[in-house]
Amino acid sequence: MASEGASIESKEWTLDPETEYRFELDPGTSLAVKLIRGHAEVFGAELAANKPYLFGSECKAAIFTWRGYVTGQPSTEYVSEETPMAAYANLHIAFEQMRVRALRDLRGSPVPEYEREKSSDPPRVLLLGPENSGKTTVCKLLINYAVRAGQGWSPLLINTDPAEGGWAAPGALSAAPVHTPLPTCSPGNPLGAAATSAPTALSSNALLPLAYWYGHAESKRNPLLMERIIRNLGENVNDKYQVDLQGRTAGLIVDTPSSFASGPGSSDERQRLIKACVDAFKINVILVVGHEKLNVEMQRTYASRLTVVKIPKSGGVVELDHLYRERVHNYQLHTYMYGQIIPPPPGISSASLGGETLSDLVLSPSSTIINFDDLSIFRIGAETMAPSSALPIGAARAVSETQAVSIDPAQPGSGLLNAVLAVLAPPVNTDESERYDEEILDLPISGFIIVTNLDIPHRKMTILAPNQGSVVGRTAVIGSFEWQE
Amino acid sequence: MYSQQQYGPPPSFQQPSYGSYPSYYQPPPPPPVPVYQPDPVTFRRDYSNQLAELKVNSRPIIQNLSMIAQEFARFSEIVAQCLESHIRRVPQWMKLPAFYLLDAISKNVYEPYARNFAAFVVPLFLETYSQVDQSTRSKMEEMLLTWRTGSPAGKELFGVPAQMAIERGVWGDGASSSPVGRAPSAGLPAINNRPAQTNSFYSGSGQITKTQVLTELEFTLNQKERALQGNLYDTTLQTHISVLHQLRKLVEAGVSQEELQQILTQLRSLVRSVAAPTPTPAPPPPPPAVAPSVSWPPAQQPSYPPQQPTFPPAPAPTYPSFPTYDNVKTEPPPSVLPSASAAASGSSAQNSILSLLSTIKKVVGENGTPLGAGASSGEDVKLEPPPPDLERESSRSYRDAILMHDVKLSSTDIIRKRPDVVEFLYDRLAAQCKQCGIRFPDTVFGKKRMEDHLDMHFKQNRKANQNIGRGHSRSWFVGVEDWVHDVSVDVKGKGREAGARPMNAKATAAAEVAKRDADLRAQYVVVPRGEEANPVACPICKEQFKSEFLDDEEEWVWRNAVLKDERVYHATCHAEAATGLALRLRSELAANLRSHSNTPEAASMGSVAAARAGGVSTPPPSGLKISDALRSVSLSPSPESKLVGTKRKVDDTDHSVSDEAEGTPRLKKMALTAADSMPQ
Repeated sequence: MASEGASIESKEWTLDPETEYRFELDPGTSLAVKLIRGHAEVFGAELAANKPYLFGSECKAAIFTWRGYVTGQPSTEYVSEETPMAAYANLHIAFEQMRVRALRDLRGSPVPEYEREKSSDPPRVLLLGPENSGKTTVCKLLINYAVRAGQGWSPLLINTDPAEGGWAAPGALSAAPVHTPLPTCSPGNPLGAAATSAPTALSSNALLPLAYWYGHAESKRNPLLMERIIRNLGENVNDKYQVDLQGRTAGLIVDTPSSFASGPGSSDERQRLIKACVDAFKINVILVVGHEKLNVEMQRTYASRLTVVKIPKSGGVVELDHLYRERVHNYQLHTYMYGQIIPPPPGISSASLGGETLSDLVLSPSSTIINFDDLSIFRIGAETMAPSSALPIGAARAVSETQAVSIDPAQPGSGLLNAVLAVLAPPVNTDESERYDEEILDLPISGFIIVTNLDIPHRKMTILAPNQGSVVGRTAVIGSFEWQE
Repeated sequence: MYSQQQYGPPPSFQQPSYGSYPSYYQPPPPPPVPVYQPDPVTFRRDYSNQLAELKVNSRPIIQNLSMIAQEFARFSEIVAQCLESHIRRVPQWMKLPAFYLLDAISKNVYEPYARNFAAFVVPLFLETYSQVDQSTRSKMEEMLLTWRTGSPAGKELFGVPAQMAIERGVWGDGASSSPVGRAPSAGLPAINNRPAQTNSFYSGSGQITKTQVLTELEFTLNQKERALQGNLYDTTLQTHISVLHQLRKLVEAGVSQEELQQILTQLRSLVRSVAAPTPTPAPPPPPPAVAPSVSWPPAQQPSYPPQQPTFPPAPAPTYPSFPTYDNVKTEPPPSVLPSASAAASGSSAQNSILSLLSTIKKVVGENGTPLGAGASSGEDVKLEPPPPDLERESSRSYRDAILMHDVKLSSTDIIRKRPDVVEFLYDRLAAQCKQCGIRFPDTVFGKKRMEDHLDMHFKQNRKANQNIGRGHSRSWFVGVEDWVHDVSVDVKGKGREAGARPMNAKATAAAEVAKRDADLRAQYVVVPRGEEANPVACPICKEQFKSEFLDDEEEWVWRNAVLKDERVYHATCHAEAATGLALRLRSELAANLRSHSNTPEAASMGSVAAARAGGVSTPPPSGLKISDALRSVSLSPSPESKLVGTKRKVDDTDHSVSDEAEGTPRLKKMALTAADSMPQ
């Protein structure tokens, strides 16, 4: 196996069965990996032989092989023999069993005697775990294995971690059906990419997420809003399952923020959000990644109605600091606007990003000047808000957590400059009588725009939008994310 | 028929109509963007490595290898050498797939490979033929038959001498007792010098074995049945098949040498005449690096005439008296059928099928056998086995396999067990897309999906090539309704076509725009009394209103009109001006002018821009001409040349508006609106 490195020299690695090659890239470097012989996969997505795969934007990943196989000059690289992949594979098989039973049930095929008492519920999995436990990676792996099974499964991947962003920008909670393996090449789009106007070979690079805007990185900032969004997502997922009975059999996997597992917030709040997920998505399996106490807690609360399984944490998980996460948010917004751009290492003339040609992943956003009145901008809740529990007894908020407050761009200190705004989908009911006060909380996101300039005297602002579509007359919501190129 | 169909770069891939001959080859999708530019040594190593994986008859591997061969036609000799040594070296059970690869490359790429392969194909084929078991032999025979018409021109794939040498080696010519032992190359010059003999070779002046006839019969029959699958109601085909079934029964029962020959002749002329009328796509130009072929004349000219029926077709009235045929015949005589394929296969096919019939009649007549099997063979035709539900079949077997495993969802159990996940993720999915690594089961159903998947790559590549230089951008996310109703079933397994869903969103957007437009157009203003004769123009586009009589209102009205501030505007013009759409259109148009300045559209763009400028500044008389020019541009049938092609929304608007009956020149309107609204 070989690869070609960030510096011009290339290095060949031979991996023994069930080992993985791990690497961590420094900012501004990239790595190309080419599979020369055998089979290998990156978080469950198989590599095609003899195609250079690019990694960049401080990507930290691992190339695993079941049967021996791999490859650069990353800042850290090593081969690990201890991986929890066997356990993950068992999970996959267990979930596949649930899927085939669900499909059998749907098709009304005969059920053998010994299978009678088995449930025909498809796997609906919630992943919980502390920070840096590899939750998202496990989700991705399980999803990738499911779509690779060759059975046409397209499970839903639901991201409830606002810091992660997923296909949208950070600050959003989203759900998308996955049809082909999710590539890994950059933390800029950890779960594949949302659809663009470019032709893409992999549907994972053209996902159709349903996203709601939370607007902050931490779930404790506005748990009420978070809960509402989770329930909104759940409702739509269930609607989708009503329509698509066969799609339902593939199940779903919910990734969660680490704050669900532990953290300074009150335990009640965590429990409430977990419960919101369990109810909204009709969870029947909870996976707890390497957290004994949480496992016990979940067993106690949910063991009567669903399966709680503790799964091992991979030794390859990297401790991520706050600054790294900040940079990842920047990568994600850059990727949203400009597409995935990773300069290949010298000596690599053409490579692919998870099987995609590079040129197709470059996007051109559009910068336009609009009037202040063209866009109605809101903030949900007050700008800084202490949790309700922290308020003095008897004190009421001036602004409730879920109240939409209109923002006037003409006011100094509106906080709009460089802010990431979520442009909401137009309301379904155009009939005024059907509208309601908090409707803005229940509208999904159409896309994101950035305010790059404010011209208060002329009441105009410059916005960077992902495409040329007009945002005039739309509603946008601000969060706490900012982005500057 | 089959050879032309699969050859060349057709716009969409069709299932080639082979019989039991494995259907692995279709024209490979165009080569992907080359990811590496190897030197000959690297290429040789890589290619033989990949070749080494060709152990079973795997369509994806063959397809991939032939794609590489196509891509690196400049290394054709290396490919040929690798392939030859591979076939010679591998154990006999691995030889057939390699021959399929040779076959696929020769037919699909043809130049320069067929020429390269011709150098060694005869000894290689015969040597292999002598080593393999009976079932492989019959597969090879089937393949050999397709080589007769395998070239793009419908001629022998490797030239007449090679074809004859192989066929002689395989079926013998009655003289040689040990065909394999013969040195075929020694015989070649002689055959070449005696063209008259080629004819007798094919029509079989020597011994025709029953096996040979049966093989060819079987082959033709399979081919027909395949074709029938594609077109269940083709009655001509059905008739052909029933006749062929009968023929097979006859031959199996044993007929004289003379009859064998007649049957064979008819059979071949049937195959040829069916093959001939299919339009042959022009072969792709040979790679410039390849020197023009010198040693290739045999394939360019027919060196033996197509077989003609050697006896007149039986007169139609005679066959109703033939009882067996009546049993078999489920449809009226083919000659009166208006079926599409009857037309396509041409009258020669009709003739030869009639001849075949008469052959049967003759044979039966001579033997005096009543052909008791006739009725059952008729049933054979009718009892087409229903196509099994492959999808369910495959998911059933997957279910059984996955449920075999005893894995409990518990913290201890998942750690303890050694899973056999490799079986499910790799072994059961033997077919892999070499472009993106996605795997498919090596079953009929899986192959079908893999084909779809490769088609998708092909389309994407083509689209990407067409789009070069055009900017892409992130789409808006879909709305809740679209998301909920985006059902997974129809996109199963394959990477779906990019834009399939966005298209839907696009379509809804277009529908909305169209509806809004229609609403606007439905508005009207009653023409004031006495004003009917006075021309009134819209202040925005300066077009005159056309008055028409509205029966419901019993009034003369202006359609698509709205009264604002005591002035009458076109409703559409007014709406546009109000939304600022015109402004945006204009700026985008300008942007397009810049970004497309070196595309072919540039010329027309330029003239439009000029015309537009003229339209703004010149008085109405000359404006008339300009508007004509504009109309021709804005109604141009090619969406590619749309000025606003890259902007979806605007494009849609433009479409719907340019559909309007009056054909108001759109750009002019736009420009003027812009001009009107600019001053503020």
